[in-house]
Amino acid sequence: MRASVGLLALFLGSGLWLEAMIGLRAGGWVDDPLRREFLRLGHAHGGLLALVNLALAWAMTKLQTPDGWARRIRVAAWLGALAVGVGFFGGGLWHGAADPGPLVLIVPAGAMMLVASCVAVAMVR
Amino acid sequence: MAGARWPTLVLFGPAVAWLALATAGSAAALLDGDDWGPPARRDATVAGADACRRCHLPQWRSWHDSYHRTMTQPTAAPGFEPAAPFAGERLAALGFVATLSRDGDGRPHVRVVPEAGDDAGGTPLLDARVELAVGSHRVQQYVARLDRGGGEGELWRLPLAWHIGEARWIHLNTAFLAPDGEPGSEADFMRHLSRYNDNCLFCHNTEPNPGLAADGRWHSAVGQWGIACEACHGPAAAHVQRHDAPLRRVWSALGDDGTVVDPQALAPGLATDVCGRCHGQRIGHDIATILAHGDGFRPGEPLANVSRPILRDATVGDDPQPHFRGRFWPDGSARLSAHEYQALLASPCHQDGAGLQCGDCHAMHGPTPAMQLRSDWDPTRSCTRCHDALALSGATAPAGHGGHGDALDCVACHMPRTSYGLLQGMISHRIGSPDPAAAVGLHDRPDACTQCHVDRSRSWAVASLPALGLPAHAPARAEDPRERWGSRILLDLHGGDPIQRALAVDALARPDAPVDPRVRLSWLLDALVDDYAAVRFMAWVGARALAAESGLDAAVTDALAGFDPEAAVQTRLATWQQLRRALGPGPFDDAPERALELEASRDAVAIWIGE
Repeated sequence: MRASVGLLALFLGSGLWLEAMIGLRAGGWVDDPLRREFLRLGHAHGGLLALVNLALAWAMTKLQTPDGWARRIRVAAWLGALAVGVGFFGGGLWHGAADPGPLVLIVPAGAMMLVASCVAVAMVR
Repeated sequence: MAGARWPTLVLFGPAVAWLALATAGSAAALLDGDDWGPPARRDATVAGADACRRCHLPQWRSWHDSYHRTMTQPTAAPGFEPAAPFAGERLAALGFVATLSRDGDGRPHVRVVPEAGDDAGGTPLLDARVELAVGSHRVQQYVARLDRGGGEGELWRLPLAWHIGEARWIHLNTAFLAPDGEPGSEADFMRHLSRYNDNCLFCHNTEPNPGLAADGRWHSAVGQWGIACEACHGPAAAHVQRHDAPLRRVWSALGDDGTVVDPQALAPGLATDVCGRCHGQRIGHDIATILAHGDGFRPGEPLANVSRPILRDATVGDDPQPHFRGRFWPDGSARLSAHEYQALLASPCHQDGAGLQCGDCHAMHGPTPAMQLRSDWDPTRSCTRCHDALALSGATAPAGHGGHGDALDCVACHMPRTSYGLLQGMISHRIGSPDPAAAVGLHDRPDACTQCHVDRSRSWAVASLPALGLPAHAPARAEDPRERWGSRILLDLHGGDPIQRALAVDALARPDAPVDPRVRLSWLLDALVDDYAAVRFMAWVGARALAAESGLDAAVTDALAGFDPEAAVQTRLATWQQLRRALGPGPFDDAPERALELEASRDAVAIWIGE
C-alpha cells in the first residue's frame, strides 16, 4: 500500500510538471500535440491506476484474498500501473512523426497485469 | 509448488507473452533492411493525400482547408462545384458572347459565338466542356480538352475566368497587362487561350508530367490534382508502404528514414527551394526532358539541379535577347507575382540560403488559408530576431522609427507593394530598406514612402527622413521636375507604364493611406478610363471602397456600382463623366497640358506575364 501511495504521488506530481510546461510555453510541448496527448495520458492513467492499486489493497483485505495470491496481485497491480504510466510518458517523450515511441509497447503489458489483478481479486477466495 | 505457479501464470503470463511478441515483432521490423535503407527517391511514386490522412490528420485538415488543395480540380470529381454559377450567364467581350452553362450531366460548359451571329446557328469560336477548374482564392480559371494538333490529351485554359471577390465573369485580357484588343478580332479574344499541358500543369499540381510524346501528342498526368502533401514532402508511396505496420511506425522514433522530406527541417536554402518550385518562375535546364517527363525535382534537393530562376537579364537557349526584362524593375526586383522565390534569394536577409526562409513567415499547416501566415507570425518579431530594434532608431519603441513604429509594421515599408498579380498590388518579397534618395529622378520602381504618402514627392521623402531620425543620403540625381506639380503616385497614374499605373491605383485605394479618401477617389477616377482593362478593373474596385469610406451619396456609389470596366469605351466614358461631375475637377483639370504631357510619356508596353 505504501508503494501504491508512492506511485500516486509520483504521477500526481507529474501533473505539476505538465502544468509548468504549459505556463512556460515550453518548446517541444506546446508545439507537439502528440507529445502533449501522451504525457497527459501518462499522468492521468498513472494517477488513476495508483488509486486502483489502493482500491485493490482495500478489497483484498475485505475479501480476505489468500496470501499467496495477494502478494503477487500487489506486485502485478503496482507494476501494471507503473508500466501504463511510464509507457505513455516514454512513448510521448520519444516519438516519431505520427506515432508514439517504442516505450508505448509496455502499456498493453501493464494493462494486462492490472486486468488480471482485478479479475483475481474478484474471483479468488 | 503447483499452487504458487498458478497465480504467477495468471497475473504475469499474458503480459510476458505480449512483451515477447512485441520484442519479436520489433526485432523483425528493425532487422528488415529494405524497410530502413535509403529509398529510391528518383522513381518514387505518389500515394495521394488520403493515404497521408490516416496518420497525419491535423496536417491533412489544414491542407484540406487550403487554397493549395483546390488549385486544380477536375470537374468530374465527386462533389465538385465550380466557383462560378454556370447557370446560363453571358459575357460579351470584343464582339463575342460567351455563354456559361452546364451539360446534361451537370458539368460546366463554355460556348463562345460572334455577338452578331445567331447562337443557335452561328459557328462557335469555342464550344467545350470544362474539364478542370484552376484556382479558388481570387480567380477561378477553366480548362477544356481541345485537340489543336496535340491529340486528345491536349488541354487549354479558356480565355474567361470567374473573379471570386467580385462574383463576376471577366475576360482574361482584363487580368493581363495588355491593351483590350480589337472588337471582332478572334485573335484578340483568344489571346489568353493557353495550353495547360506545358504551362499551368507544372505549378498547379502535384508531381506533374506533361507527357509530350515524340509525335507531338500530349499524355499529361499528375500524381494528384492540385498542390497536395507530396508537392512539398515528396512522393510518399514508399513511406506509406513502410509505415503500414504499427511496429514499424513505433520504431520510426529512431529517426528519419528519408522516405519523405519535412521542409521545416531543411536548411533555409533548401526549404526555400521547395516553395520556389512554384512561387518563382524558372527556366528548366533540359526543357525537352521536362516536357516529356516532368522536371524531376524532389523536395530536399537543390532546385538549381533542374532549373534556374528567371532574372532580369535571363536568356533562353541560344537566343541572346533578354526577353524577361519587362517583368523586372531596373534594379532587378520583380514586377510580377510568382517571382517571390527570386525576390527572396535577392534579399540580404536570405543570406545566400543560410538566413530567412519562407517558413519564417508562412506555415502550410497554420490556421488561416489566406496568405498562410504562421499562427505565431509577428512581422516585427520576424525582423527583430536578427535586427536590434533599438539600433534602428527605436523601431519598435513608442514614437520610434520616426513615429512609423506606432502605425506600421516592418512589412509596410521594407516589403512595399511593388509587384502586380491577379488584379492586385502585391508586396515585394525582396526585403530592403526604403531609400527615397536613390529613387529621386527615376521614373520606375515605386518607393515605399510615396506609395503611402500618395500626395508627396520623392524629394519630400528625402527631406523628411532626418526629422524622423532616419538615415538620409543626398539624392543620387536631380529631381524629376514634374514632381513639383504632381505627386509621385499621380505621375505614375497618368504617365507610368501599365504596372506603374496599376500599382498607383493600388496605392491610392489602400485604406491606410494618410490622405483624405475623397481626394484619393477623385484622383483614382481617371484610371477608370485607362487603356488597360486591368488598371480600370483595379480602379473600379478601389473607387468603390473609397466611396464607401468617404460616405458619398447614392449618385456616386450607384454610378460606380453600375460601371463596367470591361464595357465599350463610350459606355465607360459616359459613366466617368457623370462621376467626374459629381466629384469635382480632377488633379490636372486646371492645367490639362500636364495631363497631356504625362499621357504622352506613357509606356504602352504590353507586359508579358509568363505562364
